[in-house]
Amino acid sequence: MRRRLGRLILMVPVLVYTVFSAGPYLWTATMSLRTTDEIYRSHYGLPIPAHWDKYARAWNEFGYATYFKNSTIVSVASVLLVTVIGAMAGFAFARRRYRFPLREPLFLLIFLSVMFPPQIMLLALFQILVQYRLFNSLIGLVLVYTVTELPLTIYLLRAFFAQIPTELEEAARIDGCSDWATFWRVMFPMALPAVATTVILNFIYFWNEFLYAVVFITQQKIRTLPLAIQFLVSDQYQDVGMLATGLMIATLPVLVLYLFLSEWFVKGMTAGAVKG
Amino acid sequence: MTFYNSLHTLRMDLGMLTEFVGFEHFREILTTDDVFWKAARNSLTWGIVAPLVDIPLALMLALTLHARVPFARVFRTVWFTPVLMSYPVVGVIWLWVYNYDWGMANLVLRAIGLGDYAQAWLASPATALPALILVTTWMFAGFNMVVLLAAIHAIPPEYLEAATVDGAAGWRRLLHIIVPLLRPTIVNLAILDFIGKMKQFALVWVMTRGGPMWGTETVATYVVKRAFEWKTLDLGYPSAIAVIWFVIIFGLSLLLTRVLQRREALEF
Repeated sequence: MRRRLGRLILMVPVLVYTVFSAGPYLWTATMSLRTTDEIYRSHYGLPIPAHWDKYARAWNEFGYATYFKNSTIVSVASVLLVTVIGAMAGFAFARRRYRFPLREPLFLLIFLSVMFPPQIMLLALFQILVQYRLFNSLIGLVLVYTVTELPLTIYLLRAFFAQIPTELEEAARIDGCSDWATFWRVMFPMALPAVATTVILNFIYFWNEFLYAVVFITQQKIRTLPLAIQFLVSDQYQDVGMLATGLMIATLPVLVLYLFLSEWFVKGMTAGAVKG
Repeated sequence: MTFYNSLHTLRMDLGMLTEFVGFEHFREILTTDDVFWKAARNSLTWGIVAPLVDIPLALMLALTLHARVPFARVFRTVWFTPVLMSYPVVGVIWLWVYNYDWGMANLVLRAIGLGDYAQAWLASPATALPALILVTTWMFAGFNMVVLLAAIHAIPPEYLEAATVDGAAGWRRLLHIIVPLLRPTIVNLAILDFIGKMKQFALVWVMTRGGPMWGTETVATYVVKRAFEWKTLDLGYPSAIAVIWFVIIFGLSLLLTRVLQRREALEF
Protein backbone atom coordinates (compact mmCIF):
# COMPACT_ATOMS: atom_id res chain seq x y z
CA MET A 1 0.00 0.00 0.00
CA ARG A 2 2.74 2.43 0.95
CA ARG A 3 4.70 1.49 -2.16
CA ARG A 4 1.74 2.20 -4.38
CA LEU A 5 1.27 5.58 -2.75
CA GLY A 6 4.96 6.33 -3.26
CA ARG A 7 4.67 5.58 -6.93
CA LEU A 8 1.62 7.77 -7.23
CA ILE A 9 3.52 10.68 -5.72
CA LEU A 10 6.39 10.05 -8.15
CA MET A 11 3.94 10.40 -11.01
CA VAL A 12 3.49 14.10 -10.22
CA PRO A 13 6.99 15.29 -11.24
CA VAL A 14 6.96 12.81 -14.11
CA LEU A 15 3.75 14.26 -15.52
CA VAL A 16 4.85 17.85 -14.92
CA TYR A 17 8.09 17.22 -16.80
CA THR A 18 6.23 15.47 -19.60
CA VAL A 19 4.01 18.53 -20.08
CA PHE A 20 7.12 20.74 -20.15
CA SER A 21 8.88 18.40 -22.56
CA ALA A 22 6.07 17.67 -25.00
CA GLY A 23 3.88 20.76 -24.56
CA PRO A 24 5.64 23.21 -26.88
CA TYR A 25 5.81 20.72 -29.73
CA LEU A 26 2.22 19.53 -29.39
CA TRP A 27 1.12 23.16 -29.31
CA THR A 28 3.02 23.72 -32.56
CA ALA A 29 1.32 20.63 -33.97
CA THR A 30 -2.14 22.04 -33.26
CA MET A 31 -1.20 25.37 -34.82
CA SER A 32 0.07 23.63 -37.93
CA LEU A 33 -3.51 22.55 -38.66
CA ARG A 34 -5.09 25.94 -38.02
CA THR A 35 -5.06 29.08 -40.12
CA THR A 36 -3.25 32.14 -38.84
CA ASP A 37 -6.60 33.96 -38.44
CA GLU A 38 -7.90 31.18 -36.21
CA ILE A 39 -4.69 31.22 -34.20
CA TYR A 40 -4.86 34.97 -33.58
CA ARG A 41 -8.43 34.61 -32.36
CA SER A 42 -7.38 31.96 -29.83
CA HIS A 43 -3.87 30.64 -29.54
CA TYR A 44 -4.72 27.45 -27.73
CA GLY A 45 -7.77 26.15 -29.59
CA LEU A 46 -7.99 22.64 -30.93
CA PRO A 47 -7.56 22.19 -34.67
CA ILE A 48 -11.26 21.85 -35.49
CA PRO A 49 -11.80 21.80 -38.38
CA ALA A 50 -8.32 20.54 -39.26
CA HIS A 51 -6.83 22.34 -42.27
CA TRP A 52 -4.79 19.51 -43.74
CA ASP A 53 -4.54 21.45 -46.98
CA LYS A 54 -2.05 23.77 -45.25
CA TYR A 55 0.54 21.03 -45.61
CA ALA A 56 -0.01 20.94 -49.36
CA ARG A 57 0.20 24.73 -49.53
CA ALA A 58 3.41 24.90 -47.51
CA TRP A 59 4.87 22.16 -49.70
CA ASN A 60 3.90 23.75 -53.03
CA GLU A 61 3.63 27.50 -52.47
CA PHE A 62 6.15 28.21 -49.71
CA GLY A 63 9.04 26.24 -51.18
CA TYR A 64 9.18 23.46 -48.62
CA ALA A 65 9.26 20.90 -51.45
CA THR A 66 12.57 22.38 -52.62
CA TYR A 67 14.06 22.71 -49.14
CA PHE A 68 12.96 19.21 -48.22
CA LYS A 69 14.55 17.89 -51.40
CA ASN A 70 17.81 19.76 -50.70
CA SER A 71 17.97 18.48 -47.14
CA THR A 72 17.30 14.93 -48.32
CA ILE A 73 19.97 15.08 -51.04
CA VAL A 74 22.60 16.52 -48.72
CA SER A 75 21.83 14.19 -45.80
CA VAL A 76 21.59 11.00 -47.83
CA ALA A 77 24.68 11.70 -49.92
CA SER A 78 26.74 12.64 -46.86
CA VAL A 79 25.58 9.61 -44.91
CA LEU A 80 26.49 7.31 -47.83
CA LEU A 81 29.96 8.81 -48.20
CA VAL A 82 30.66 8.86 -44.47
CA THR A 83 29.47 5.29 -44.01
CA VAL A 84 31.40 3.77 -46.91
CA ILE A 85 34.65 5.62 -46.25
CA GLY A 86 34.27 5.40 -42.48
CA ALA A 87 33.66 1.65 -42.47
CA MET A 88 36.64 0.92 -44.71
CA ALA A 89 38.96 3.25 -42.77
CA GLY A 90 37.67 1.94 -39.44
CA PHE A 91 38.43 -1.61 -40.54
CA ALA A 92 41.90 -0.70 -41.78
CA PHE A 93 42.69 0.95 -38.46
CA ALA A 94 41.30 -2.02 -36.54
CA ARG A 95 43.60 -4.59 -38.15
CA ARG A 96 47.32 -4.48 -37.57
CA ARG A 97 47.75 -6.51 -40.74
CA TYR A 98 47.20 -3.38 -42.86
CA ARG A 99 50.44 -1.48 -42.64
CA PHE A 100 50.77 2.00 -44.01
CA PRO A 101 53.05 4.90 -43.15
CA LEU A 102 52.11 7.05 -40.13
CA ARG A 103 49.39 4.66 -39.07
CA GLU A 104 49.45 5.52 -35.36
CA PRO A 105 49.95 9.29 -35.67
CA LEU A 106 47.14 9.38 -38.22
CA PHE A 107 44.74 7.65 -35.87
CA LEU A 108 45.71 9.97 -33.03
CA LEU A 109 45.02 12.92 -35.31
CA ILE A 110 41.59 11.52 -36.20
CA PHE A 111 40.86 10.94 -32.54
CA LEU A 112 41.84 14.51 -31.67
CA SER A 113 39.80 16.02 -34.48
CA VAL A 114 36.66 14.46 -32.98
CA MET A 115 37.01 17.16 -30.36
CA PHE A 116 37.67 20.13 -32.69
CA PRO A 117 34.92 22.70 -32.38
CA PRO A 118 33.41 23.62 -35.75
CA GLN A 119 34.30 27.29 -35.33
CA ILE A 120 37.98 26.54 -35.66
CA MET A 121 37.40 24.93 -39.05
CA LEU A 122 34.63 27.21 -40.27
CA LEU A 123 36.72 30.05 -41.69
CA ALA A 124 39.40 27.76 -43.11
CA LEU A 125 36.75 25.61 -44.81
CA PHE A 126 35.14 28.77 -46.15
CA GLN A 127 38.40 29.76 -47.82
CA ILE A 128 38.93 26.30 -49.26
CA LEU A 129 35.39 26.16 -50.65
CA VAL A 130 35.77 29.57 -52.28
CA GLN A 131 39.11 28.55 -53.77
CA TYR A 132 37.70 25.38 -55.34
CA ARG A 133 34.47 27.07 -56.45
CA LEU A 134 32.42 24.85 -54.15
CA PHE A 135 31.04 27.76 -52.17
CA ASN A 136 27.26 28.01 -52.50
CA SER A 137 26.84 24.50 -53.84
CA LEU A 138 25.25 21.41 -52.36
CA ILE A 139 28.29 19.36 -53.39
CA GLY A 140 30.49 21.61 -51.29
CA LEU A 141 28.17 21.20 -48.34
CA VAL A 142 28.16 17.40 -48.75
CA LEU A 143 31.97 17.37 -48.75
CA VAL A 144 32.11 19.55 -45.64
CA TYR A 145 29.60 17.36 -43.82
CA THR A 146 31.48 14.24 -44.84
CA VAL A 147 34.82 15.41 -43.51
CA THR A 148 33.35 16.77 -40.28
CA GLU A 149 31.65 13.50 -39.30
CA LEU A 150 34.26 11.08 -40.65
CA PRO A 151 36.52 11.13 -37.56
CA LEU A 152 33.79 10.11 -35.12
CA THR A 153 32.46 7.47 -37.54
CA ILE A 154 35.91 5.96 -38.05
CA TYR A 155 36.48 6.01 -34.31
CA LEU A 156 33.20 4.24 -33.49
CA LEU A 157 33.47 1.65 -36.26
CA ARG A 158 37.11 0.88 -35.54
CA ALA A 159 36.14 0.01 -31.97
CA PHE A 160 33.47 -2.37 -33.27
CA PHE A 161 35.67 -4.07 -35.88
CA ALA A 162 38.43 -4.53 -33.31
CA GLN A 163 36.06 -6.75 -31.28
CA ILE A 164 35.36 -9.15 -34.15
CA PRO A 165 37.76 -12.11 -34.00
CA THR A 166 40.10 -12.48 -36.97
CA GLU A 167 39.28 -16.17 -37.54
CA LEU A 168 36.32 -15.25 -39.76
CA GLU A 169 38.47 -13.27 -42.16
CA GLU A 170 41.04 -16.04 -42.23
CA ALA A 171 38.34 -18.55 -43.10
CA ALA A 172 37.11 -16.27 -45.87
CA ARG A 173 40.63 -15.88 -47.21
CA ILE A 174 41.16 -19.64 -47.28
CA ASP A 175 37.93 -19.90 -49.27
CA GLY A 176 39.59 -17.64 -51.84
CA CYS A 177 38.15 -14.21 -51.02
CA SER A 178 40.20 -11.12 -51.75
CA ASP A 179 40.57 -8.46 -49.05
CA TRP A 180 37.95 -6.38 -50.81
CA ALA A 181 35.43 -9.23 -50.97
CA THR A 182 36.19 -10.29 -47.41
CA PHE A 183 35.41 -6.82 -46.19
CA TRP A 184 32.18 -6.26 -48.11
CA ARG A 185 30.80 -9.81 -47.92
CA VAL A 186 31.86 -10.88 -44.44
CA MET A 187 32.98 -8.03 -42.21
CA PHE A 188 30.63 -5.25 -43.29
CA PRO A 189 27.47 -7.36 -42.86
CA MET A 190 28.70 -8.39 -39.43
CA ALA A 191 29.17 -4.76 -38.47
CA LEU A 192 25.67 -3.74 -39.55
CA PRO A 193 24.39 -3.02 -36.02
CA ALA A 194 27.27 -0.61 -35.43
CA VAL A 195 26.90 0.84 -38.92
CA ALA A 196 23.19 1.44 -38.29
CA THR A 197 24.10 3.35 -35.14
CA THR A 198 26.46 5.65 -36.99
CA VAL A 199 24.01 6.08 -39.87
CA ILE A 200 21.33 7.35 -37.50
CA LEU A 201 23.73 9.55 -35.56
CA ASN A 202 25.09 11.11 -38.75
CA PHE A 203 21.73 11.45 -40.48
CA ILE A 204 20.23 13.39 -37.57
CA TYR A 205 23.32 15.57 -37.43
CA PHE A 206 23.22 16.35 -41.17
CA TRP A 207 19.46 16.85 -41.27
CA ASN A 208 19.66 19.41 -38.45
CA GLU A 209 23.03 21.03 -39.16
CA PHE A 210 22.90 24.82 -39.22
CA LEU A 211 26.26 26.56 -38.71
CA TYR A 212 27.99 25.35 -41.88
CA ALA A 213 24.81 25.69 -43.92
CA VAL A 214 24.24 29.30 -42.91
CA VAL A 215 27.80 30.29 -43.82
CA PHE A 216 28.31 28.22 -46.97
CA ILE A 217 24.90 28.57 -48.65
CA THR A 218 23.55 31.96 -49.67
CA GLN A 219 21.30 31.12 -52.62
CA GLN A 220 17.65 30.62 -51.86
CA LYS A 221 17.00 27.62 -54.07
CA ILE A 222 19.66 25.45 -52.48
CA ARG A 223 18.75 26.16 -48.86
CA THR A 224 18.34 23.20 -46.55
CA LEU A 225 15.37 23.01 -44.16
CA PRO A 226 17.03 24.49 -41.04
CA LEU A 227 18.34 27.37 -43.14
CA ALA A 228 14.97 27.92 -44.83
CA ILE A 229 13.20 28.05 -41.48
CA GLN A 230 15.58 30.69 -40.22
CA PHE A 231 14.82 32.88 -43.23
CA LEU A 232 11.07 32.24 -43.13
CA VAL A 233 10.97 33.35 -39.49
CA SER A 234 12.22 36.79 -40.40
CA ASP A 235 10.29 37.08 -43.68
CA GLN A 236 6.92 35.81 -42.52
CA TYR A 237 7.00 36.37 -38.82
CA GLN A 238 3.28 37.23 -38.79
CA ASP A 239 2.20 34.05 -40.53
CA VAL A 240 2.43 31.86 -37.44
CA GLY A 241 0.09 29.20 -38.83
CA MET A 242 2.07 28.54 -41.99
CA LEU A 243 5.37 28.59 -40.13
CA ALA A 244 4.04 25.96 -37.72
CA THR A 245 3.12 23.79 -40.70
CA GLY A 246 6.68 24.22 -42.00
CA LEU A 247 8.17 23.17 -38.68
CA MET A 248 6.09 20.02 -38.73
CA ILE A 249 7.24 19.21 -42.27
CA ALA A 250 10.85 19.66 -41.16
CA THR A 251 10.53 17.42 -38.11
CA LEU A 252 7.80 14.85 -38.77
CA PRO A 253 9.81 12.44 -40.97
CA VAL A 254 12.50 12.10 -38.32
CA LEU A 255 10.04 11.87 -35.43
CA VAL A 256 7.84 9.27 -37.12
CA LEU A 257 10.90 7.13 -37.81
CA TYR A 258 11.91 7.65 -34.19
CA LEU A 259 8.55 6.33 -32.97
CA PHE A 260 9.11 3.06 -34.80
CA LEU A 261 12.84 2.71 -34.20
CA SER A 262 13.24 4.50 -30.89
CA GLU A 263 15.73 1.99 -29.48
CA TRP A 264 17.99 2.46 -32.49
CA PHE A 265 17.71 6.22 -32.31
CA VAL A 266 18.60 6.27 -28.63
CA LYS A 267 21.58 4.03 -29.33
CA GLY A 268 22.71 6.19 -32.23
CA MET A 269 22.35 9.53 -30.50
CA THR A 270 24.06 8.37 -27.32
CA ALA A 271 26.93 6.73 -29.22
CA GLY A 272 28.34 10.20 -29.69
CA ALA A 273 28.24 10.75 -25.93
CA VAL A 274 30.40 7.84 -24.86
CA LYS A 275 33.43 8.99 -26.83
CA GLY A 276 34.87 11.36 -24.15
CA MET B 1 45.24 27.01 -41.44
CA THR B 2 43.00 28.94 -39.03
CA PHE B 3 46.05 29.49 -36.87
CA TYR B 4 48.03 30.78 -39.85
CA ASN B 5 45.19 33.13 -40.72
CA SER B 6 45.03 34.44 -37.20
CA LEU B 7 48.44 36.01 -37.66
CA HIS B 8 47.37 37.81 -40.81
CA THR B 9 44.86 40.22 -42.23
CA LEU B 10 42.86 38.61 -45.02
CA ARG B 11 40.97 41.01 -47.22
CA MET B 12 38.06 39.22 -48.85
CA ASP B 13 37.37 42.19 -51.12
CA LEU B 14 40.92 42.18 -52.51
CA GLY B 15 41.10 38.55 -53.63
CA MET B 16 42.17 37.26 -50.22
CA LEU B 17 45.15 39.59 -50.09
CA THR B 18 47.15 38.38 -47.12
CA GLU B 19 49.33 40.58 -44.96
CA PHE B 20 51.34 39.38 -41.97
CA VAL B 21 50.47 41.16 -38.73
CA GLY B 22 51.92 38.83 -36.12
CA PHE B 23 50.06 38.72 -32.83
CA GLU B 24 48.41 42.10 -33.42
CA HIS B 25 44.90 40.55 -33.58
CA PHE B 26 45.43 38.70 -30.34
CA ARG B 27 46.54 41.90 -28.61
CA GLU B 28 43.51 43.79 -29.90
CA ILE B 29 41.03 41.05 -28.91
CA LEU B 30 42.36 40.65 -25.41
CA THR B 31 42.90 44.30 -24.57
CA THR B 32 40.41 46.49 -26.42
CA ASP B 33 37.58 44.31 -27.72
CA ASP B 34 34.70 44.74 -25.25
CA VAL B 35 32.30 42.70 -27.35
CA PHE B 36 34.62 39.72 -27.23
CA TRP B 37 34.72 39.85 -23.45
CA LYS B 38 30.94 40.11 -23.22
CA ALA B 39 30.57 37.18 -25.59
CA ALA B 40 33.15 35.18 -23.66
CA ARG B 41 31.33 35.84 -20.39
CA ASN B 42 28.00 34.77 -21.89
CA SER B 43 29.44 31.59 -23.40
CA LEU B 44 31.21 30.73 -20.17
CA THR B 45 28.06 31.33 -18.12
CA TRP B 46 26.17 29.07 -20.49
CA GLY B 47 28.88 26.42 -20.34
CA ILE B 48 28.90 26.38 -16.54
CA VAL B 49 25.21 26.86 -15.72
CA ALA B 50 23.84 24.41 -18.29
CA PRO B 51 25.56 21.26 -16.92
CA LEU B 52 24.72 22.32 -13.36
CA VAL B 53 21.04 22.47 -14.29
CA ASP B 54 20.80 19.74 -16.94
CA ILE B 55 22.56 16.93 -15.15
CA PRO B 56 20.98 17.04 -11.67
CA LEU B 57 17.60 17.37 -13.39
CA ALA B 58 18.43 14.44 -15.67
CA LEU B 59 19.59 12.40 -12.69
CA MET B 60 16.36 13.02 -10.79
CA LEU B 61 14.32 12.10 -13.84
CA ALA B 62 16.36 8.94 -14.37
CA LEU B 63 15.94 7.88 -10.74
CA THR B 64 12.20 8.48 -10.92
CA LEU B 65 11.90 6.30 -13.99
CA HIS B 66 14.15 3.71 -12.36
CA ALA B 67 11.69 3.47 -9.46
CA ARG B 68 9.37 1.51 -11.75
CA VAL B 69 6.93 4.24 -12.59
CA PRO B 70 4.23 2.87 -14.90
CA PHE B 71 4.72 3.61 -18.62
CA ALA B 72 8.40 4.43 -18.02
CA ARG B 73 9.25 3.60 -21.63
CA VAL B 74 6.67 6.02 -22.95
CA PHE B 75 8.03 8.83 -20.79
CA ARG B 76 11.57 8.06 -21.80
CA THR B 77 10.61 8.18 -25.48
CA VAL B 78 8.82 11.52 -25.06
CA TRP B 79 11.55 13.20 -22.99
CA PHE B 80 14.23 12.23 -25.48
CA THR B 81 12.40 13.73 -28.47
CA PRO B 82 13.56 17.40 -28.29
CA VAL B 83 17.17 16.47 -28.97
CA LEU B 84 16.15 15.15 -32.40
CA MET B 85 15.01 18.58 -33.61
CA SER B 86 17.21 21.16 -35.27
CA TYR B 87 18.08 24.40 -33.50
CA PRO B 88 16.09 26.58 -35.94
CA VAL B 89 12.97 24.49 -35.30
CA VAL B 90 13.48 24.62 -31.54
CA GLY B 91 14.28 28.32 -31.77
CA VAL B 92 11.04 29.19 -33.56
CA ILE B 93 8.92 27.11 -31.19
CA TRP B 94 10.50 28.85 -28.19
CA LEU B 95 10.15 32.28 -29.76
CA TRP B 96 6.44 31.54 -29.54
CA VAL B 97 6.68 30.14 -26.03
CA TYR B 98 8.34 33.38 -24.89
CA ASN B 99 5.89 35.64 -26.76
CA TYR B 100 4.68 38.35 -24.41
CA ASP B 101 0.99 38.33 -25.31
CA TRP B 102 0.18 34.71 -25.98
CA GLY B 103 3.30 32.64 -25.25
CA MET B 104 3.13 29.56 -23.08
CA ALA B 105 5.61 30.91 -20.52
CA ASN B 106 3.49 33.92 -19.60
CA LEU B 107 0.30 31.89 -19.95
CA VAL B 108 1.49 29.50 -17.25
CA LEU B 109 2.64 32.34 -14.98
CA ARG B 110 -0.74 34.09 -15.29
CA ALA B 111 -2.58 30.81 -14.71
CA ILE B 112 -0.82 30.14 -11.41
CA GLY B 113 -1.31 33.70 -10.18
CA LEU B 114 2.18 34.99 -10.89
CA GLY B 115 0.98 37.22 -13.71
CA ASP B 116 3.11 40.08 -12.38
CA TYR B 117 6.20 38.18 -13.45
CA ALA B 118 4.99 37.83 -17.02
CA GLN B 119 7.37 39.71 -19.27
CA ALA B 120 8.99 39.85 -22.70
CA TRP B 121 11.66 37.32 -21.80
CA LEU B 122 13.91 37.85 -24.79
CA ALA B 123 13.73 41.65 -24.80
CA SER B 124 15.69 42.35 -21.64
CA PRO B 125 19.44 41.67 -21.32
CA ALA B 126 18.84 40.32 -17.81
CA THR B 127 16.40 37.58 -18.78
CA ALA B 128 17.39 36.74 -22.38
CA LEU B 129 20.38 34.55 -21.56
CA PRO B 130 18.63 32.55 -18.79
CA ALA B 131 15.70 32.11 -21.17
CA LEU B 132 18.00 30.63 -23.81
CA ILE B 133 19.71 28.39 -21.27
CA LEU B 134 16.31 26.99 -20.34
CA VAL B 135 15.75 26.10 -24.00
CA THR B 136 18.95 24.05 -24.13
CA THR B 137 17.90 22.36 -20.90
CA TRP B 138 14.59 21.47 -22.55
CA MET B 139 16.57 19.94 -25.42
CA PHE B 140 19.25 18.09 -23.47
CA ALA B 141 17.85 17.05 -20.08
CA GLY B 142 16.02 14.11 -21.66
CA PHE B 143 19.10 13.07 -23.58
CA ASN B 144 21.27 13.11 -20.45
CA MET B 145 18.51 11.28 -18.61
CA VAL B 146 18.60 8.41 -21.10
CA VAL B 147 22.37 8.01 -20.77
CA LEU B 148 22.16 8.09 -16.96
CA LEU B 149 19.25 5.65 -16.91
CA ALA B 150 21.30 3.19 -18.96
CA ALA B 151 24.18 3.60 -16.52
CA ILE B 152 21.86 3.00 -13.54
CA HIS B 153 20.52 -0.15 -15.16
CA ALA B 154 24.11 -1.30 -15.63
CA ILE B 155 24.82 -1.18 -11.88
CA PRO B 156 24.97 -4.81 -10.69
CA PRO B 157 21.88 -5.41 -8.52
CA GLU B 158 24.07 -7.16 -5.92
CA TYR B 159 25.59 -3.79 -4.94
CA LEU B 160 22.19 -2.36 -4.20
CA GLU B 161 21.06 -5.48 -2.34
CA ALA B 162 24.23 -5.51 -0.25
CA ALA B 163 23.66 -1.85 0.61
CA THR B 164 20.11 -2.57 1.66
CA VAL B 165 21.24 -5.47 3.82
CA ASP B 166 23.78 -3.17 5.46
CA GLY B 167 20.95 -0.85 6.35
CA ALA B 168 21.43 1.85 3.73
CA ALA B 169 18.09 2.67 2.19
CA GLY B 170 16.41 5.52 0.41
CA TRP B 171 18.47 8.68 0.27
CA ARG B 172 21.59 7.19 1.80
CA ARG B 173 21.64 4.41 -0.74
CA LEU B 174 21.22 7.00 -3.44
CA LEU B 175 23.97 9.31 -2.23
CA HIS B 176 26.54 6.75 -1.17
CA ILE B 177 26.04 3.96 -3.68
CA ILE B 178 24.32 5.08 -6.85
CA VAL B 179 25.83 8.54 -7.39
CA PRO B 180 29.48 7.47 -6.82
CA LEU B 181 29.01 4.54 -9.18
CA LEU B 182 27.61 6.89 -11.80
CA ARG B 183 30.40 9.41 -11.40
CA PRO B 184 32.33 8.51 -14.59
CA THR B 185 29.15 8.86 -16.64
CA ILE B 186 28.23 12.12 -14.92
CA VAL B 187 31.68 13.59 -15.49
CA ASN B 188 31.55 12.56 -19.12
CA LEU B 189 28.13 14.12 -19.69
CA ALA B 190 29.08 17.29 -17.82
CA ILE B 191 32.15 17.84 -19.99
CA LEU B 192 30.21 17.10 -23.15
CA ASP B 193 27.50 19.54 -22.09
CA PHE B 194 30.13 22.15 -21.20
CA ILE B 195 31.84 21.89 -24.60
CA GLY B 196 28.51 21.93 -26.42
CA LYS B 197 27.41 25.14 -24.72
CA MET B 198 30.76 26.85 -25.17
CA LYS B 199 30.28 26.40 -28.95
CA GLN B 200 26.63 27.47 -28.94
CA PHE B 201 25.72 29.29 -32.13
CA ALA B 202 22.52 28.23 -33.87
CA LEU B 203 19.95 28.83 -31.16
CA VAL B 204 21.23 32.36 -30.57
CA TRP B 205 21.37 33.07 -34.28
CA VAL B 206 17.73 32.11 -34.76
CA MET B 207 16.23 33.53 -31.57
CA THR B 208 18.06 36.73 -30.65
CA ARG B 209 21.02 37.30 -32.98
CA GLY B 210 23.08 38.05 -29.88
CA GLY B 211 20.82 40.85 -28.66
CA PRO B 212 19.53 42.65 -26.75
CA MET B 213 22.64 44.79 -26.07
CA TRP B 214 25.02 41.83 -26.61
CA GLY B 215 23.05 40.12 -23.84
CA THR B 216 23.12 36.76 -25.57
CA GLU B 217 26.13 37.20 -27.87
CA THR B 218 28.28 34.09 -27.78
CA VAL B 219 31.82 33.74 -29.03
CA ALA B 220 30.60 31.63 -31.94
CA THR B 221 28.03 34.18 -33.11
CA TYR B 222 30.61 36.94 -32.72
CA VAL B 223 33.09 35.04 -34.91
CA VAL B 224 30.51 34.65 -37.67
CA LYS B 225 29.43 38.28 -37.37
CA ARG B 226 32.99 39.56 -37.56
CA ALA B 227 33.73 37.34 -40.54
CA PHE B 228 30.63 37.82 -42.66
CA GLU B 229 28.34 40.56 -41.33
CA TRP B 230 30.47 43.47 -40.25
CA LYS B 231 31.92 45.13 -43.29
CA THR B 232 35.50 44.67 -42.14
CA LEU B 233 35.96 41.94 -44.76
CA ASP B 234 38.86 40.50 -42.81
CA LEU B 235 39.06 36.79 -42.04
CA GLY B 236 42.20 37.12 -39.93
CA TYR B 237 40.63 38.77 -36.89
CA PRO B 238 37.77 36.26 -36.42
CA SER B 239 40.26 33.43 -36.98
CA ALA B 240 42.26 34.77 -34.06
CA ILE B 241 39.11 34.76 -31.89
CA ALA B 242 38.44 31.17 -32.92
CA VAL B 243 41.98 30.16 -31.99
CA ILE B 244 41.77 31.82 -28.57
CA TRP B 245 38.41 30.20 -27.89
CA PHE B 246 39.58 26.78 -29.03
CA VAL B 247 42.54 26.96 -26.67
CA ILE B 248 40.26 28.01 -23.80
CA ILE B 249 37.70 25.24 -24.43
CA PHE B 250 40.41 22.65 -24.79
CA GLY B 251 42.27 23.79 -21.68
CA LEU B 252 39.17 24.01 -19.52
CA SER B 253 37.94 20.58 -20.63
CA LEU B 254 41.27 19.04 -19.73
CA LEU B 255 41.24 20.86 -16.39
CA LEU B 256 37.68 19.73 -15.66
CA THR B 257 38.53 16.13 -16.47
CA ARG B 258 41.54 16.31 -14.17
CA VAL B 259 39.76 17.94 -11.25
CA LEU B 260 36.63 15.79 -11.40
CA GLN B 261 38.62 12.59 -11.73
CA ARG B 262 40.98 13.43 -8.93
CA ARG B 263 38.06 13.90 -6.58
CA GLU B 264 36.87 10.50 -7.62
CA ALA B 265 40.24 9.00 -6.79
CA LEU B 266 40.22 10.62 -3.37
CA GLU B 267 36.86 9.26 -2.42
CA PHE B 268 37.51 5.64 -3.06
